[in-house]
Order: sequence, then structure tokens, then C-alpha cells
Amino acid sequence: MRKKTKMIIDPKYILIAISVICAILIVVSFKFQDKIEPVRSIVGGVVTPMQKGINTIGVKISDKLEYVNSVKKLTKENKKLKDKLAETNAENKLLQQDKYELENFRKLYSLDEQYAKYPKVAARVISGEPDNWYNEFIIDKGTDDGLAKNMNVMAGDGLVGRIVDANKSYSRVRSIVDDSSEVSGSFLKTSDKCIVSGNLSMMKEGKIQISGLDRDAKVKDGYEVVTSQISSVYLPGILIGYAKNIKKDSTNITQSGYLVPAADFSSLDMVLVITKVKNSKDLEEILGK
Amino acid sequence: MKNYVSMFVMIIVGFILQTTLFRHLRIAGVSPNILVILTAIAGTMYGQYCGLFTGVISGLFVDMMFSSIIGVNIFIYAVIGFIIGMTNKMYIEDDLIFPTMTIAIGDIIYGVLFYVLKFLLRGRLRITDYLINTIIPELIYTIILGVIVFKFAHWMDRKLNPPEPVHLGVETKPDDEQ
Repeated sequence: MRKKTKMIIDPKYILIAISVICAILIVVSFKFQDKIEPVRSIVGGVVTPMQKGINTIGVKISDKLEYVNSVKKLTKENKKLKDKLAETNAENKLLQQDKYELENFRKLYSLDEQYAKYPKVAARVISGEPDNWYNEFIIDKGTDDGLAKNMNVMAGDGLVGRIVDANKSYSRVRSIVDDSSEVSGSFLKTSDKCIVSGNLSMMKEGKIQISGLDRDAKVKDGYEVVTSQISSVYLPGILIGYAKNIKKDSTNITQSGYLVPAADFSSLDMVLVITKVKNSKDLEEILGK
Repeated sequence: MKNYVSMFVMIIVGFILQTTLFRHLRIAGVSPNILVILTAIAGTMYGQYCGLFTGVISGLFVDMMFSSIIGVNIFIYAVIGFIIGMTNKMYIEDDLIFPTMTIAIGDIIYGVLFYVLKFLLRGRLRITDYLINTIIPELIYTIILGVIVFKFAHWMDRKLNPPEPVHLGVETKPDDEQ
């Protein structure tokens, strides 16, 4: 096929043709985002099984690298830790008593009960984004396992992001540190609303931006920020992270700062997907009334 | 034709490695861009047609897998393949510096186009941040890996298109499209 075009068409025209086709593709895929899903699954269906295999090699290699680095450290640490262990054992008994008390306190927080209520499914991260501009990744479960678009994803006890694409056997997750991600959050202690948005330049430091906080809000460093009730896709009450360095904006109308996410984004391996989609229809009805 | 098939296989392998293995081998928070390397190599070694072909296929893979809007990456990679393809005339066999430079140029084009198309149009104006945090680290890492990938691609090229015996008194030409 190429041999024919080789002699006749100038590459300039091929590039122009490609550009035009791309422009059309962009418009078409933007308009019919749902309908092209099966087409996109083709590439994913071929590539994901291979990715699964090689990803395990990648995990092993990075584990090995860490292993070599840490052997020396660990032997030293081991000695120290053994001494500490004896100390800790004694302390532990005291703490166990405190634990019962803590559990009672936890019950007071309705948040924790809500957490447990959400049905969750564990999934493995099998592949990351191909460039350094975004923070999206692929997990090895899809619609076959009951996942759907807009489901919330957690790791540990913090929010990681949400599913933006659910295919048959895999799903794409956009994390909250991604530059194009915005979550409406609220401070647990003061219920002040704010907007938590990812920012590429802050992403490297593992921070997320907070903005749009009311100027009268009295918040301090270390306050928990959770997903707010008014968010259209995120279920309420999921911990996002801890606020830091909140300052008044130059406009003097709002405050902004940054947030240290509760989930560890540098080493995402297993994530939990909440298999409950926030029903925005209900919300719209309420707001409509 | 052989060149296209070998490029296609390399794209698949490169894409899989990039999205899995190199995710774990990040340095300073960035991973190298193998698809840009491959597109630049195809452009330098085989010319604009192969560069465009490699670019389109690479972009298609990225768009299909990772983006909700298809077309942007195809365009970026095609432009890289086209521009780097122009350097094919200056390419001499066994030269390592020149392909490395074209890979660097390819990655710069990629960074700039990506920034303009996906960030500048959304009103993110602080280009210096993106330059320091993303484009330059990625560039350095990509160049280092690019040398290795080029060595491999060149070895592959030698296997596929063995050099013709040189007649004395006749100037040797770089074998273009065999």
C-alpha cells in the first residue's frame, strides 16, 4: 500500500490529510463519546493482557532495586527494632485498653460508618499513563466485574480518583492529582466548602491545590478535607487529605492553599473501587425542588 | 515494507514497556517517552513516509488507550514524524550523534505541542513550571534511553537491509527504503 504512494504523493499532503482526519476524529469522538467505546476496547483488549504480564515484571524489578538498596539499612534497623520491640510490647498492652475507648469514639463519627457501608471491590493497577503530563492509570477490572464510569476509587483510606472509562476488562482511572481533575470538598470540622483541583506543577511534590474557600472560614493546617455532599460524582464523606498552608488570596474574597492527599500516589498498586455510583439524578431533583 | 512491519512491532513492544515497566523506573518523577524515540528513529532512518506511519500508529495507540478524545496524539506524533523525516537526507549510517539530536528535537516538539494543545488552551499559562518539571527531565531521560533504542533499531535495520557491497569509485549512498 505504501509502495504505491511512495513515489506519487508528497509527504506534505499526507501530513495535511492526517491533520484533517485528526480534526474530524476529535470532533466525532467528542460528540459520540459513548458510541466509540467498543472501538477503543479493541486496542485495550489486545494490549491489556500483555501489560498485565509485563507489569508484574516491572513490579518485581522495582522491588528488587529497592531490596538491594535496603539490605544494609535493614540489618541496622533490625537490631534497633528488636530492642524497641520489647519496649513496644509493654506499651501495646496499655494501648489495647485505649483501643476500646477509641472504637467508641469512632462510632460517634458518622463518617466512618458511611465508609463501611459503601460496597468495595479491590483492583490491581496494571499500567500507567504513557506521558508525564497526566496522572491516569489502568486497573485490571472492567464492566465484567461490575465497574462503571464515575465510580470512586480509593487506596488505603484516601480518595484516589474516579473511573473515567469503563471497558470490558479494564478501566481507566483519573486520579485527583491530575491537572484536569476537580473535586468539590468540604472541611470535616467546619464544613466549609472548597474546590480541590490537581495541578501538574504541584503534582511532583505530592500536593493538590485548594481554592475557593470562603474568606471567613476558620481552618487550620492539618484539618481533614473530605468529599462534599454537593459533588456530582464523588460520594460524600471520603477523606481526600489534610489541608496545609491556607492563606487569604490577593482578592481578599477567598482563601486558598494546598492539601496533602491521604492516599500515597507514588506507589499505587492495589486500589479499592466503590461499586456505588453517586446518583446525581436524585440530587438534581432535590435541587430542582 | 519490512521497515514498516519492524517499526510496528517495535511500537507495540515500546508502548507496552512504556506503560508498564518504565512506570516503575521513574527518575525525578518522569518516565521516558519511547514512542517519541521510535517516531524520531523511523523519521531519521527511513524518511518521512515511515516517520508519518510510525507517528500515526503510536498516536493511535495512545489515544485509543488513554484519552477520551481520539486525534490529538495522532496529530502530535504525525507532526514529529513529518518534521524529523526531513532530516533523513542528512543521516549517515553509523552516526550516533545525529539520531540522538533528532530524538531530542522530537521530544521537544512533543513537549511544546502537548503543552500548547492540552494545557495552554485550558488557560495554564505558566510554561516555565512545565518546562522545568516535565519537559526538561523527560528530555534528558528520553535522550539517554534513545541512544539505547537507536542502537537496537540500527542493529535491526542491519539485519533487515544488509548493506550492499560498495563499488570502488562510486560514492556510497545511505540506503533509503532499501
